[in-house]
Amino acid sequence: MTGLWVLVATLVAGLVAGGVLAARNGRIRGSGRAGQTPRTLPGPVVEALDPAASVTLVQLSTTFCAPCRQARTVLAGLAERTEGLHHVELDVTNRPQVAQELGVLRTPTTLALGRAGEELLRVSGVPRSGELLAALEPHLG
Amino acid sequence: MSASPAVDPRGPRFAAAVTTVVLAVVLVTGWWPLLAAQTVVFAIGAFVGLRPAPYSVLYRLLVAPRLRPTTEREDAAPLRFAQAVGFVFALVGTVGYASGLTTVGIVATAFALFAAFLNAAFNFCLGCEAYLLLRRFTPRAGQA
Repeated sequence: MTGLWVLVATLVAGLVAGGVLAARNGRIRGSGRAGQTPRTLPGPVVEALDPAASVTLVQLSTTFCAPCRQARTVLAGLAERTEGLHHVELDVTNRPQVAQELGVLRTPTTLALGRAGEELLRVSGVPRSGELLAALEPHLG
Repeated sequence: MSASPAVDPRGPRFAAAVTTVVLAVVLVTGWWPLLAAQTVVFAIGAFVGLRPAPYSVLYRLLVAPRLRPTTEREDAAPLRFAQAVGFVFALVGTVGYASGLTTVGIVATAFALFAAFLNAAFNFCLGCEAYLLLRRFTPRAGQA
């Protein structure tokens, strides 16, 4: 009988945890680090910036991350279709300090950076391209 | 980095669904030989390979032929690590049940069930995330 109650409790806990994770996936967050100068950005991120693009999407990935591939497909497609938008994938598997300096805990996390390296917004999980484009629109062009 | 062969990501998800059902039955019945069998299943996936793992074989025989083939591939390393995590919990659970420490058995089984259920229902691989966290906190030699 105890086992049955534990089963029910475990499944409920799983539903709650799964719901929270699903709700967080692809959510766009405004920059909590507004005004952060490019100087404080980690070196590999600064190198990834495309001076020709209005907005550079820097996607932090790790080798062992299935949703990173989905995020890559979404973002590469979006960048291809959108003028002034550039997409770079940064593999941080062997340099976790880059993610740490950016305050990124999970991959994929995508930072949208302006020309000067200022952070416009960030998305954790697989971005939804329509929503992301709408949020980036004011910064493009 | 991708020395381990890539796998059809629907296979592990199917395996997680079967695992969820098996662990649920274990919790309700407390029948530890079933948990012991699940422990062996985890061990094959973790230490031998995903291909010979019983649920993958089941997936290839019964499910895959009915689905459209996919080109989507997932790296096997975190999946195998996740199986190893499952193995540890299932082993502790089996020993707990078999030795009369039923509470230990129930708790360990519940943890394994939680992870398998998240994977089956939400496609979220808890063990894979743990793999990344572990790597993050493991300093590697030769790194500046």
